[in-house]
Order: sequence, then C-alpha cells, then structure tokens
Amino acid sequence: MKELFPRGQVMGFAFSLVLTLVALSVIVFDLSLKMGVIVLLVTAFMQAALQLVMFMHAGESEDKASIYTNVYYGLFVALVTIFGTMLTMIWGYQ
Amino acid sequence: MKIDSSLPLEYSTEENRLKIFGFWIFLGAEIALFATLFATYFVLVEGTGNGPSGEELFKVPTLMLQTIFLLTSSFTIGLGINAMRLGKQKAMLSFFVITLILGLGFLGVEIYEFVEYVHEGATIQTSAFLSSLFTLLGTHGAHVTLGLFWGTFIILQTKKRGFTPETTNKAFIFSLYWHFLDVVWIFIFSFVYLKGMM
Repeated sequence: MKELFPRGQVMGFAFSLVLTLVALSVIVFDLSLKMGVIVLLVTAFMQAALQLVMFMHAGESEDKASIYTNVYYGLFVALVTIFGTMLTMIWGYQ
Repeated sequence: MKIDSSLPLEYSTEENRLKIFGFWIFLGAEIALFATLFATYFVLVEGTGNGPSGEELFKVPTLMLQTIFLLTSSFTIGLGINAMRLGKQKAMLSFFVITLILGLGFLGVEIYEFVEYVHEGATIQTSAFLSSLFTLLGTHGAHVTLGLFWGTFIILQTKKRGFTPETTNKAFIFSLYWHFLDVVWIFIFSFVYLKGMM
C-alpha cells in the first residue's frame, strides 16, 4: 500500500494545497493590487513548476533538454503574447 | 520493435519515447492557445458595460470546490502512473477512475456556475468582459470534457489489453494532458478569479 503513495508525490500534493491557500490569502487580507498580483505570480508559477517536475516527469528521459527547451519556448511565446497585447492595447495609451 | 526493459514500459520503444516528446510539443502549442485567450481577457476585463463585474460575479465556495477537485485529480492521476510503473493494474485503474470522477465533479461545478451566471443576467453576449471570460473558461472546460472521454477509453483499453508498451504509453500521455489542464486552471484560479475578487 505504501509504495502506491510515494512520499515525493504526497509531499508535492500537500505543497500545492498550501500554495493554493497562500494564493487565497490575497482576498482574505486587504493587500494592495500590486502586492496581491506579485503573490499570485509567485504561487502560480511555483504550482506550475511543481506539476511539471513532480507529476509530469519532465526531466526523466533522454529528451529532457528538448522537452525543457520546448516548454521554455512555449512560455516565451505566451509571455510575449500577453505582455505584447497589454502594451499595444492598454498600457501604450496611458 | 526493440524493447528496452531498463525503462518504464511507456518509454520502452523509440516510437513510444517520440510520441511522448511529440505530445510535449502539442502542449507547447496549447500554452500559446491559452495565452491568446488570457491576453484577450486581460484587455477586456474592464469592459463590463451594463453587466456585472467579476467582483460581483465570482464566489469563493464554487471556486475552491473546483480548484480542490482539479488539484486532487492531478494528484490521483500521478499516483495512477506510479501504480502503472509498479505493474499494479488494479490500483492504476482505480486511480484513473477516481481522477475522472473528480474531473466530472469539477465540470459539474463549472456548469452549475455558468447556469448561475446566466440567471444573474451575465451571458456571453452581455459584455466584452463576459465574452472573454466565457471563452477562456469554456475552452478550458471543453478540454476537461474531452479528457473525460479520452480517459474513459484509456481505462477500457487497459482493462481489455493489460499493460503493453502501447497502452501504458497512451495512459502516460493522457496523464500529461490532465496535469496540463490543472496548470491552466491554476492560472485561471489566480489571475481571473482571485485577481477579480481582490
């Protein structure tokens, strides 16, 4: 039974629940918008990294370098899309 | 077909390894897809017109319920893959069934939430904010729905054929998809709901 619940994954799950509660704290405590967004950015990216490394086994095969390159590239495209859109549609006019 | 028995079954052939890598590339494209939807949402979030804003619409209980369902399902499918690597078919199938039930729970709450929104007069046509919100949430929800069917077929096939390089490879790739949906939800949870309620 014990081998069905590997320590690492159980700890990872517990950690992800803690991160969720920390994220939730931004609406419980009256934080400023800027402070709140920083907390959310940290918790969200930590959660995503946890999933990738702990649960998706991103680094276990010989394709490790290609898989990480691909993920970073996807992330780069995502950030350019989001911040580029914000810049051209909103921030650029303020 | 060359089978390397030093690796988990799902990696045991070159074709299997490449299928897993190929799926990672697909997930890269999915990241780009969701990025465009998030970008649209962030631009239109203030465009509430005569409709309600996120602050008036979002509720903590349904949000937490959805988040717990999806986070836990991501954990149980991880356990399913672990059981698969131990060669325990019954345990693997049980974890996969639990995963899909949790996914169904998530979808149930999301549909309930959508119906509530519409009853409050917040439809996809009400405002730019709601159009982009429903598009983002709906695309994620559609992915979960597809995953429920996909996962069901994986369970049926594994039950019928047992663990082979093919079935374990398919199950592993499905687990990647499911974890990815959880990752997307984490960003929706943080930057749509929590930021909207702040």
